[in-house]
Amino acid sequence: MTSVGGVQYSKIAEIKGPLVIVDDVENAAFDELVEVETGEGERRLGKVLEVGNGKAIVQVFEGTTGLSVSGTSARFVGKVMEMPVSKEVLGRVFDGLGRPKDGLPDPIADKFLDINGAPMNPEQREYPKDFIQTGVSVIDGMITLVRGQKLPIFSGSGMSHNILAAQIARQATVVGTEEEFAVVFAAIGVQYSEAEYFRRTLEESGALKRSVLFLNLADDPAIERIITPRVALTVAEYMAFELGMHVLVILTDMTNYAEALREISAAREEVPGRKGYPGYLYTDLSTIYERAGKLNGKTGSVTQVPILSMPSDDITHPIPDLTGYITEGQIVLGRDLFRQGVYPPVNILMSLSRLMKDGIGEGRTRQDHGEISNQNYDAYSRAQEVRALAGIVGKAGLAEVDLKYMDVGDSFEKGFLTQALDENRNLEETLSLLWKVVSNLPRTELTKVKDKYVEQYYRGSDA
Amino acid sequence: MASDTLERTIDKILDQTQKRLGSELDGALAESGKTLDGARAGLEAEYDKIISDGRKEADKIQKQIVGSSDLEARNKQLLLVEEAVDRAFTQALGRISDMDRGDSYAELVEALVREATDTLGSTEVVVYTSEKDRDVVGSVLNGFAGSQLADDIIECLGGVRVVSTDGTMTFDNTLDARISRLKPLIRKQIAAKFGVVN
Repeated sequence: MTSVGGVQYSKIAEIKGPLVIVDDVENAAFDELVEVETGEGERRLGKVLEVGNGKAIVQVFEGTTGLSVSGTSARFVGKVMEMPVSKEVLGRVFDGLGRPKDGLPDPIADKFLDINGAPMNPEQREYPKDFIQTGVSVIDGMITLVRGQKLPIFSGSGMSHNILAAQIARQATVVGTEEEFAVVFAAIGVQYSEAEYFRRTLEESGALKRSVLFLNLADDPAIERIITPRVALTVAEYMAFELGMHVLVILTDMTNYAEALREISAAREEVPGRKGYPGYLYTDLSTIYERAGKLNGKTGSVTQVPILSMPSDDITHPIPDLTGYITEGQIVLGRDLFRQGVYPPVNILMSLSRLMKDGIGEGRTRQDHGEISNQNYDAYSRAQEVRALAGIVGKAGLAEVDLKYMDVGDSFEKGFLTQALDENRNLEETLSLLWKVVSNLPRTELTKVKDKYVEQYYRGSDA
Repeated sequence: MASDTLERTIDKILDQTQKRLGSELDGALAESGKTLDGARAGLEAEYDKIISDGRKEADKIQKQIVGSSDLEARNKQLLLVEEAVDRAFTQALGRISDMDRGDSYAELVEALVREATDTLGSTEVVVYTSEKDRDVVGSVLNGFAGSQLADDIIECLGGVRVVSTDGTMTFDNTLDARISRLKPLIRKQIAAKFGVVN
């Protein structure tokens, strides 16, 4: 923060989509913060995208509606965009640019941090291996989330991803430690009703106290969405690496973020990549996702759960495709399960947590965790095959063991997967349910689990 | 004779019926014992579940009540601090506005004009200032070749607004602009006096 202000230029060459092109500009810097002032004195924020040949291209976050070439001026502030941070931001609700939205004054800042974040030294990164309990059985039991991981949720339009996100935000906790836990929730381009649901649900559950909300609504300017995940992650990094807290960042919906990026790219007349998204979509997404992690010598961690709705449920769409390259696994919501009324409708056969194996087992969760999870994957996969077979030959044509696998499929979906919106299951309950599912099978079918665990936990008819 | 036979038959039937009823009662007793034993385990599980659900619910409600009251208290504190900060700010601005326009103020104005002309890259500028500062600024501008004092005055606490002669570039170096840029830091320092931040 400086007392010296920047120069205000009043020669606007062109206004194109979300961009303002300013003429005769000297000494502007890439990414510099710009205050665009309308003839009526209204101020909007923007940043420099390109400088050269005496011109500066400014991206206006709050849109260019109502701006005219004459009467508009742009003040180059002389610094990049910063977010005021302090512990006081906990329990607060901000808009997509980090301005208070809860009727309270600006937080009194401890520091002002560049929203682009400080790059993490790869050498200093610590391998994530500590379990985060979400209270959602399918995640804790079979797609375990660990501190410092980035694990996206791939969903489709109209599915219950936001309800699941809110449930994770309410229930998530680190077990067996006194270290503080916080949730940073960034809603990007969501409907008013959804934003209100997030705020109310956190408030009513008492989780708002340890949460920070950034809400960019669907009718807010699309360009603001470029900033929302960055201000959210800046706050998360401060809390994790300066205050030593374990921070879970939920970003929903990253598809809206990518759409905003496409809008700017089109306005800049860049050569489009797949489906019109810019060629640098991968690089841009990585500047967000790679801000998750844990650092040597620091107590805190930043864990990310970005949510993206796949257009037409297409997992090969550029957004989920490129996200999948950067993140460490994915939780995929299934349309079929959603239609059957299963909540959360997680398709476990397409889901995976790449860091799960290091975050579970003896000393972390429970020694049989990995094996009983594998056994359930195996059994549910077989159940799906048997269901397909039954569709052709009918139930009467199935062997007795195949019928048991069908029961396992039903029991898995109704007993284990299905969970009430306010049901917070601890790990013991989750693992018991996993054992209950496979207890529908004859003992001889449990080939992925050691005999000593079968002896201890199996409750089937031939126990 | 016939009545003896009849009585024996009746006794026999009664005896058999008694035995049958007895064994049926024993069976029913054993059955109900078994059912009771089975039900007890289920009941105990149900009882444990109700207790555990109740604890969870109580825990949830406690978190909710504590969380919302903590937040409410914190928010009230924030509003109070903000009110105090605003009051301190208003008083400070009043003092700045009334400060003596002596030699040291002329030095300050000179520094402000120099900063502005350096940033704009030229001394050929038009300088705007408040009614109160016109004399001070006018004398300071003698040291800046090509600069001119604007006829129009601006509303500000002090300082100058410097505009390039073609009017395309402006550098606002009024005290108001500088205070507004530093306001977040000043707020922090005032709040620290109230013991709210470090």
